[in-house]
Amino acid sequence: MKNKENEKESVLADDRKRKKKRGAVIGLAITTGILGLTTMGFTIGFGIAQSNAMRYKNDLVNIYNENFYNLLDSVNNLENKLSKTLSSNGTYQRKMLLEASKNAGEAEVSVSQLPLSQSDIQDMIKFVNQISGYTSTLANELIDKSTLSEEDISTLQDIHESVLQLKNQLNEFERKMEKGYSIIDNIDIDVTNNGFSQMITLSKSNAIEYPTMIYDGPFSDSVTNSEVKGLKGESVSKSKAEEIVEKQFKNTAEIKFEGETKGRFETYNFRIKNSDGEMLYIQVSKIGGNILTISGAGKDGDAAIDMDAAKDIAIHFAEENGIENAQVVWSDQIKNDVYLNIAPMQNGIVLYPDLVKVKVDLTNGMIVGYDATTYFTNHVARNLSKGILRESDARGKVPSNFEIAQSRLVLSPLEYNREVVCYEVETDYKNETYFFYFNASNGELENVLKVIKTDNGNLLM
Amino acid sequence: MKKRLLIVVVLFFVFAFSLTGVGYAMKGDAIDSQNEIQSVETLTTAENKTVQTKLKRWGYYTGSIDGIYGPKTKEAVKYFQRKNGLTADGIVGPKTAAALGMTISSSKSTQSSNDLYLLAKCVYAESRGEPYTGQVAVAAVILNRVKSPSFPNTISGVIYQPYAFTAVNDGQINLTPNSTAYKAAQDALNGWDPTYGCLYYYNPATATSSWIWSRKTVVTIGKHVFAM
Repeated sequence: MKNKENEKESVLADDRKRKKKRGAVIGLAITTGILGLTTMGFTIGFGIAQSNAMRYKNDLVNIYNENFYNLLDSVNNLENKLSKTLSSNGTYQRKMLLEASKNAGEAEVSVSQLPLSQSDIQDMIKFVNQISGYTSTLANELIDKSTLSEEDISTLQDIHESVLQLKNQLNEFERKMEKGYSIIDNIDIDVTNNGFSQMITLSKSNAIEYPTMIYDGPFSDSVTNSEVKGLKGESVSKSKAEEIVEKQFKNTAEIKFEGETKGRFETYNFRIKNSDGEMLYIQVSKIGGNILTISGAGKDGDAAIDMDAAKDIAIHFAEENGIENAQVVWSDQIKNDVYLNIAPMQNGIVLYPDLVKVKVDLTNGMIVGYDATTYFTNHVARNLSKGILRESDARGKVPSNFEIAQSRLVLSPLEYNREVVCYEVETDYKNETYFFYFNASNGELENVLKVIKTDNGNLLM
Repeated sequence: MKKRLLIVVVLFFVFAFSLTGVGYAMKGDAIDSQNEIQSVETLTTAENKTVQTKLKRWGYYTGSIDGIYGPKTKEAVKYFQRKNGLTADGIVGPKTAAALGMTISSSKSTQSSNDLYLLAKCVYAESRGEPYTGQVAVAAVILNRVKSPSFPNTISGVIYQPYAFTAVNDGQINLTPNSTAYKAAQDALNGWDPTYGCLYYYNPATATSSWIWSRKTVVTIGKHVFAM
């Protein structure tokens, strides 16, 4: 019996041993399996990451290369058209100018999509933009006169010389690309040290000199740097400016000086918080102590006042701040913010160049936005003539299928700092609003604006 | 038993871990679907009548067929939208119109506010922690660049110019802008410019480019220095 029991025990022990062994084998197999699977998982993951990275890199390489070759083409063409412009006259010359303008515009689009440092590329972008504006302006001039002036020819020669240098530089760079230069491998994350930028613009010492173009047309310097003509009076002190703000905003709980602006306008800046907790940022001009801008976000909530009340508030505020004889000429509402354009009048003529923009919050009737910079840039006493065109003649010039809503005399700001007295005729055509502007002295159509309804308010274009 | 459980648990974690590796690699493919803007259309009287007729026939609407999109019609549209698994906003957009079995006249020109949207995105990405005026100022700088000959001539061109904005470089541009960013962008589009024509801004605490410091400073708003 004992033996049998011993036998049984030893069998059981064997069994246990075997089971243990089997367990160990299974355990080992599973561990190996896990390790294998993990390695596989990581390998697959890494592989996918790598292949994605490669794909993205290739996409980018292709985009950069395409832009570079587009740039090269445009500059090659531009050089060609400029040389033809210089060697031709009449209609053909005009055609070449227009094509040069188009090529320069294309060059701008391509160059600004290349990964180049701002500081390295700005002059070049300005150069091609101005060539585009200058050549199209010259092409327009050739409609009325037969030849270009000597001065313009000489400027064109200078431009051509610089474009030629640019062309040579880009073609030299292209030869490097042929030998395997990669744009993407030469862009340093640190933009101040961008190898590609330096390569394409050459070092500063070797930089191309870009000629100055003096003209009244697109991208000209005269258009972007308009001088301030409308500020009058004596310089005010900071404390006086603060008084002016406090007088306007009677429920001010807190006022804080936020520094000065030293640009085209010199201002004292304040941040105020009124008793409702509304925050506003206000700039007061040093000359004359006029409130130039106010900006604030306004509140969300239900409207407490209507559009007409908002107009009264805006006009009253503008008058208090030295805008004379003003009326609302355009209004738009976006949620509970009302945007109003106010223009002064002179002899019954609406002065559009002197617009003041006001934003009124309908939830509490507060001025939360104000911009009188345009007014103080342009407003001077003008010598305006009402012209010889009669209002009925202007209305008669509108195409017959347009329904006329109203008309009035306005001073219209046209491109490149031109101001012309026009009859503005508001019309309706197929449920859309168009404004026509007829020159009051010669009846010519100067401009057409169309109201474009968007998801966020209306645009005048 | 315990051992096996342990093994299973370990196995699970290992798998999950290796899958994360795969998941990480795939993440770049995800498309941000939040960036869709719904365009809101206004219907003509005739279109409103069609909507009312259809909704009345199907029992969603009990009012009169007058072609006026009043509160009753809006409620009926919402009811219809809820029943049909559409966003119940009471607006008959392209999807709801399709579900109603009608097409909205396309002769009317509609335009999304793409410029506003792009501008708001960039403002939010670049300056969401800044005071409101600082956000208007950032939007104004973008618009000043559009006008300047030294920069691209469209809003998208300026925003997506390589290396122009850090928040575009690092992908923050794809965050969904909040209502303050929209308001600031709107103000700038309406002509507000507290910087008077500035083309640059930088945070003096983090700016690394020595070139940017050489520009003429015009005004400091919040943490940003605005320069010409």
